Amino acid sequence: MSDEAVAPPAALRPAATAPRRKQLRLPATGLLGGAILLLFLLCALAPWLIAPYDPLAFDYMAIMQPPSWEHPFGTDNFGRDVLSRTIWAAQVDLQIAVFATLFPAIFGTLAGCLIGYAGGWVDALFRRLVDVIVTIPFVVLVIAIVAVLGPGLLNMYIAISAVGWIIYARLMRSEIIAQKKRDYAAAGRVMGYGRLRIIFRHLLPNAASPLLVYWMTDMSLAILLGSSLGYLGLGAQPPTAEWGVLIADGKNFMTTAWWMSIFPGTAIVLGGMGFSLFGDGLATWLRRRA
Amino acid sequence: MKRRDLLLASLLPTMAAFAAPARAAPHRGGTLIFARAMDSLFLDPVHTAQNADIWISLNLYDTLLQPSADGKGLQPGLAAEHSVSEDGKILTFRLRPDLKFADGSPITVRDVKWSLDRARSKEEGGEFAFLLSAIGSIETQGEDTVIINMAQSDPAILQALATFNAGVVPEKLLMAAAGDTLLEKSKSFAEKPVGSGPFVVESWRRNSEMVLKRNPYYWKEADDGQKLPYLDAIRFVIIPDDATRILKLKAGEVDVTEFVPYARVAELRNTPGITMTLFPAAQVHYFTMNNRPTLKDGTKNPLADQRVRQALNYATNKEALIQVVTHGVAKPARSYMPIATPMAYDGGPLYPYDLAKAKALLAEAGYPNGGFEVTCMALAGNADDAAKLQTLQQMWSQVGVKLKIEQLESATRLARFNATDFQMRTSLWTNDLNDPKQITSIFAYYPARQSNRTGWNDPRVNELFEQSEHEMDSEKRTAMYKEIQQRYYEAAPIIFGMDVPYPIAMSSKVHDFVQIPLGNNIFINAYKDA
Amino acid sequence: MHIVGILGRRLLQIAATVLVVAVLVFGLMRLLPGDAALVLLGERASDEAIARMRDQLGVNQPILAQFWDFLLRMVTLRFGDSVTLRVPVSSLIAERLPVTLLLTGMAAVLALLIAVPLAFWSAVRRGSWVDAAIRVFAQVSVSMPVFYIGLVLLITLAAGLRWFPVGGIGTGFLEDLYYLFLPALTLALSLSAILLRNLRESLIEVLDAEYVGFATAKGLPRGLVLRRHVLRNAWVSTVTLLGLHIGSLVGGAVITETVFAIPGIGRLMIDSIFSRDYAVVQGLTVVLAVLVSVVFLALDAVQAALDPRVGT
Repeated sequence: MSDEAVAPPAALRPAATAPRRKQLRLPATGLLGGAILLLFLLCALAPWLIAPYDPLAFDYMAIMQPPSWEHPFGTDNFGRDVLSRTIWAAQVDLQIAVFATLFPAIFGTLAGCLIGYAGGWVDALFRRLVDVIVTIPFVVLVIAIVAVLGPGLLNMYIAISAVGWIIYARLMRSEIIAQKKRDYAAAGRVMGYGRLRIIFRHLLPNAASPLLVYWMTDMSLAILLGSSLGYLGLGAQPPTAEWGVLIADGKNFMTTAWWMSIFPGTAIVLGGMGFSLFGDGLATWLRRRA
Repeated sequence: MKRRDLLLASLLPTMAAFAAPARAAPHRGGTLIFARAMDSLFLDPVHTAQNADIWISLNLYDTLLQPSADGKGLQPGLAAEHSVSEDGKILTFRLRPDLKFADGSPITVRDVKWSLDRARSKEEGGEFAFLLSAIGSIETQGEDTVIINMAQSDPAILQALATFNAGVVPEKLLMAAAGDTLLEKSKSFAEKPVGSGPFVVESWRRNSEMVLKRNPYYWKEADDGQKLPYLDAIRFVIIPDDATRILKLKAGEVDVTEFVPYARVAELRNTPGITMTLFPAAQVHYFTMNNRPTLKDGTKNPLADQRVRQALNYATNKEALIQVVTHGVAKPARSYMPIATPMAYDGGPLYPYDLAKAKALLAEAGYPNGGFEVTCMALAGNADDAAKLQTLQQMWSQVGVKLKIEQLESATRLARFNATDFQMRTSLWTNDLNDPKQITSIFAYYPARQSNRTGWNDPRVNELFEQSEHEMDSEKRTAMYKEIQQRYYEAAPIIFGMDVPYPIAMSSKVHDFVQIPLGNNIFINAYKDA
Repeated sequence: MHIVGILGRRLLQIAATVLVVAVLVFGLMRLLPGDAALVLLGERASDEAIARMRDQLGVNQPILAQFWDFLLRMVTLRFGDSVTLRVPVSSLIAERLPVTLLLTGMAAVLALLIAVPLAFWSAVRRGSWVDAAIRVFAQVSVSMPVFYIGLVLLITLAAGLRWFPVGGIGTGFLEDLYYLFLPALTLALSLSAILLRNLRESLIEVLDAEYVGFATAKGLPRGLVLRRHVLRNAWVSTVTLLGLHIGSLVGGAVITETVFAIPGIGRLMIDSIFSRDYAVVQGLTVVLAVLVSVVFLALDAVQAALDPRVGT
């Protein structure tokens, strides 16, 4: 949801989970995360190969059927196959994960670099901006922006991006400030390198790994935020299947047709787990390589 | 046949009250806890526009006449008797003796006159003043007689006098409330109003809880000669989430739950300790279409062609819609009016599902394989809307018409609707008046609101409606309404939908609560076992 | 003198921040299609009635006039009346704010109560199945939509086992605590997962650091070492993280309050946005902005006290 609006994510800290011997492979948990993501990616790329039914096809003869061999995840209140809908939803959710975070990640990183490097009044101005943004609840802000622009995925991306970049910028800024104090940056300045060169050749690569890791976390948060907007009817528009919308559709039937919400719910949890395990693994790997 | 069933069904709740001599005498006292989906906004009967206000208003403000429990007829209210002159121009009401407001002060003829004068005035009368607009003047005579002189005859005037906005308000208290203008006074009065109805507001925390307590001075008596109502108090709790409302009923934390999602009706019918009731309603669900040749954004609108609108009506399988959306509890529409409206013309279900006819009509209109897109606004987060439109999407794809769903939050949708910046929308109508004039003025009469913003304009219908407003001969008026309804059906400015009942789930301990077809919640006879 | 100077500067900054937030929200609300007149009159209103209501509410005044009026109110701290609920905004906030504060406060405490012991356990037993189970718990809680967690808890613990009431609030403080437990837990779960992950990482970091090894080698009991050295260091980052999430707790409260039918400010905020009740939204944002800013200020103070190295 709105989490991490400003938080330095846990995964950024050097994780000391692994034994200290050097290894150039992703840790096992990271591989597991990667495998989950790969599975969802497969679902997203070729859902028609995997899904047994058309996700939009109604079947009035088979409304709200419990899980069976024919419909492993059961059917919904229109007789649509929940398994197929969950699989097709991967496409939308991965899209949300990527598109809702891509712009904030890129723009936020660049802005953070420049702000962190420039310092002075630019930095002061930025800090005031952060103060302003963090005092308005993230969800409320996004809802308001979606209400202005109208519902739908594209506008949702715009709304999330409009607020989300600031977190990346904040993270990058503090990374850059920390890196700036290190010797090589000073050395670069002594050697008379241009500012941009210092930023992009030296500071950015060194600060990149926490960013990359946070990006992973942010993707799963984007899916969650998308689902909350779906719950309010402001996210993906019907009949598009999206995990959050599927859960919201099923919530009225939780006592009578639990399968309608449990399976998409599990998919969200698994997806989140995939991103986070992969992110953690990536962090460990990057650190070891360094 | 079908219609009689409906009538019978609508009588059932009331009949139950009389037909059970074996049942123990109603228990007196206790608090009924009622879970509402949304809170009231404003409790002045004259400035009331939303169902959440209208539906409880009669409990706070009594009227000269009252709607009967089946919602079809009238019964005496504050006036013990009334008479209408031959030409319908003079109405005489005699009040009951010793009537009192909830604070114990007397209800005088002056209060009645003042209340009705305010309700019918164009400046102070609010949204529903038009219902009383045919009144010329109101006089009082002696201590107990109110005489209404009609400027023009109005066949619906008695019904109008039983409608919430004709509720009797204490003039002294309202005028004594803080504020410079009448409107400001009304605003401060309505914070914690005192009225003439069977209950009075005890406390109100907005969007959370409203407690009504019994008005000890209320005039009505039960069969045993003791005063009504039975209940000591009603506690309305506001619970917006459908699922939570039902869970609360199941846990025994509330006694009554309104707006049960239709999908859960069957489940609650089979839950022991819970009575699931579908109160017959003067309510229709339908889809409004924009009939104008071009849309606000300048694109051509296929829905301007009558044949296209007819085709889409034929392509809509109402039975399937009823199954999917209401799980079988609704009935296909037979008129644009709820079929329970007086003078609703019942010529069988409109536009029965017929794909071949739909395709033929589309071809005739120049769309042999459909091939166009229609965008429909829906209320964001509303499960019914989503279900309706996904069903429609599926059905219309059979004739090659692509339906695009656009979920908007309520105010945005309303703004676009009022600006006629839409192609289609989901809609719902509930009668407030037991007469066809209200719905017809809004749906079919262009001068009022461009026929409910559709832009459909039939001069003959406009003319018929204007005539019917003053036609006192019931037969002639019925004939006029028949023609209006047939012309409307033919032109199909909307997608006709279904007549839908009010789903209310109650604890089995609760008896004789009634929601009448107009939607009013009537608590006067309700009681709860100890 | 120095402290007073810093404090004064911070307070000025807060005032400026709040003003900017208020202006931002003013603009955002005016960009939303529709206005309160439409909402109040509903679907069937005639154009004349809407025009009359707009006059009454003053929503059709030129935007600059509205803005001027708004600025005057801001400066004099008058929030005006809610046009849809017809009560003063200040009394609405006074009624709702304590509920949400109690809810978020309980959620914060619960989150700590869940996160701290689990993080210790998981850090000390790193790599074991306990650690794995705790991490899975954290992952599940953080990846579930709040409304879904809420409904699951309602169905199982409230409606099913009847341990808790199904939503709403109580009539006194103690009853409120009981009524708000489940919603607070709902909010606390995802927050506790975030705290847990962070705390576990920093605990491990500290545990691996030389001085702990040194202390243990000196023969100090492990428990004492954990309490004395590890906890103090991990405390700083946890408190920081918790404070940073106060804002998002309020955001999460929006949905939790809807599911549990709690009359708090989260729901009030969303309802008011949807009903275009400008005065309420503006009043609420200002109050929230002040609250969050004050929390941040307190946070910096606590941080400075806990860890002298962190200066402002």
